[in-house]
Amino acid sequence: MYNLLLKDLKLGVNPWFIAMPFLMGALMLVPGWIYLIVLMYFYWISVPSIFAQYRGQNDLLFTSMLPVTRRDMVRARVSVFVILELLHIVVAMIYGLFTVRLYPNMDYYFFAPHLGFWGLGFVMLGIYNLFLFPLFYKTAYKYGPAQIAAIAAATIFAFAAQWAGIQSPYLSDLFNGSGADHTGVQASILAAGIAIFIAFTWIAYRISFRRFRQVEIK
Amino acid sequence: MLALDVRNLNKKYPNFQLKDVSFQLEKGYIMGFIGANGAGKTTTIKSIMNMLHLESGEVRILGKNMAEHEIELKQEIGFAFGDIDFYTRSKMSTLTGILKKFYHNWDEEAYRSYLRRFKLDENKKIVELSSGMKVKYSLALALSHGAKLLILDEPTSGLDPVARDDLLDVFQELVVDGEISILFSTHITSDLEKCADYITYIADGRIINSSEKEQFKETYRLLSGSASQLDQVKDRLISYKTSSFGFTGLIHAADFDPAAGIKAATPSLEEIMIYYAKKEAAYV
Repeated sequence: MYNLLLKDLKLGVNPWFIAMPFLMGALMLVPGWIYLIVLMYFYWISVPSIFAQYRGQNDLLFTSMLPVTRRDMVRARVSVFVILELLHIVVAMIYGLFTVRLYPNMDYYFFAPHLGFWGLGFVMLGIYNLFLFPLFYKTAYKYGPAQIAAIAAATIFAFAAQWAGIQSPYLSDLFNGSGADHTGVQASILAAGIAIFIAFTWIAYRISFRRFRQVEIK
Repeated sequence: MLALDVRNLNKKYPNFQLKDVSFQLEKGYIMGFIGANGAGKTTTIKSIMNMLHLESGEVRILGKNMAEHEIELKQEIGFAFGDIDFYTRSKMSTLTGILKKFYHNWDEEAYRSYLRRFKLDENKKIVELSSGMKVKYSLALALSHGAKLLILDEPTSGLDPVARDDLLDVFQELVVDGEISILFSTHITSDLEKCADYITYIADGRIINSSEKEQFKETYRLLSGSASQLDQVKDRLISYKTSSFGFTGLIHAADFDPAAGIKAATPSLEEIMIYYAKKEAAYV
């Protein structure tokens, strides 16, 4: 699995996409922005290019000739995406620390980048994975429909969450108001987000593997 | 010992099917797998490699069942697809560096020596290689991980005559010790006249014949004669062509009576393919 992961990273992921989290993460410094958008650049820009690289270079046939199991093929591919997602979110979190200190008196209309907010980020990426992989592994080469469905689901969640955050005084207080100062509450929201991310990605992997087993390599 | 034992493969597609595909390749020999475009060569090869879901059939490689020992057997098989490129913008050295980690028996020294022998410069990108060089690179990789069975899908298509001849020499050298066996598919029959020991011929998803090369050709007779002679043998011919001089046609040697006085010769592989294709066309 480790060899396969290295192979997928080295051959499929242009170094540019490792730099992307650092470049796009800098958008966290825009004061009072809709910060969930920062994470969306991952699936808007990096993912389609990475899929195109794998497909354009006939990766499916190439990998099928190697002495590896189909289970490991799915695991490695999902891991590549998870690694990049974590990189995007962790780098954005670090930028977020600066944002909070740079603009201490900012009046946030959208979510402020406190700890709990990142829990929402994890849930958004978890939803993205949940739709992306199972749909992609129906064929293991058609990524368009999977991308559209996954982007739609994740983005709808993000905007619905943001809308609720504005409309509901409770949520507004929890994420931006006095609740944002309670580290315990914030940390538990983050932990819950991470747990949902792990659960969704795990379910996505299980379904993907089951589907990929039925796929014929043409 | 059999390097490859394919038994009763059946695979259905909406417009095509493999029907009871069976053939055997002895260890240490070269088998040419011939058939027209779309006859089922690649489908058979992908079935052997366990890439497709078959309705029925069994593939045994080096005595082991491929479906049960796929990962273990892939350590001992070298694959090359002549017409499909992988990671063309990467350097050979990059690809090798990644690929060698997958193989337990990787022999770096052997790899270096094959690079020298095939005159491959590791710093070149795949896209910069000629078609012949690409096949040689695949061979270098396969041989360096100790592959005992080479499965090559159309390795010579797209090669110029010199490169093809050169590659066929390499194939022959490889099997000399009796350890390595080669199955290669092609529609260029002259390649097989030169280097194959066995011929397996597939048409419309069915194996027409699989045997030792000379025996394969001796199974048939190419007849030529006048229009009146055609009437004597017409219903026994596999197919025939007529011209103003008379006819030429292919017949099973067993169906031919030499006393009939019709001129008969041993056909070339190409002639066998052409007349069989004509028969298929007649049925459509």
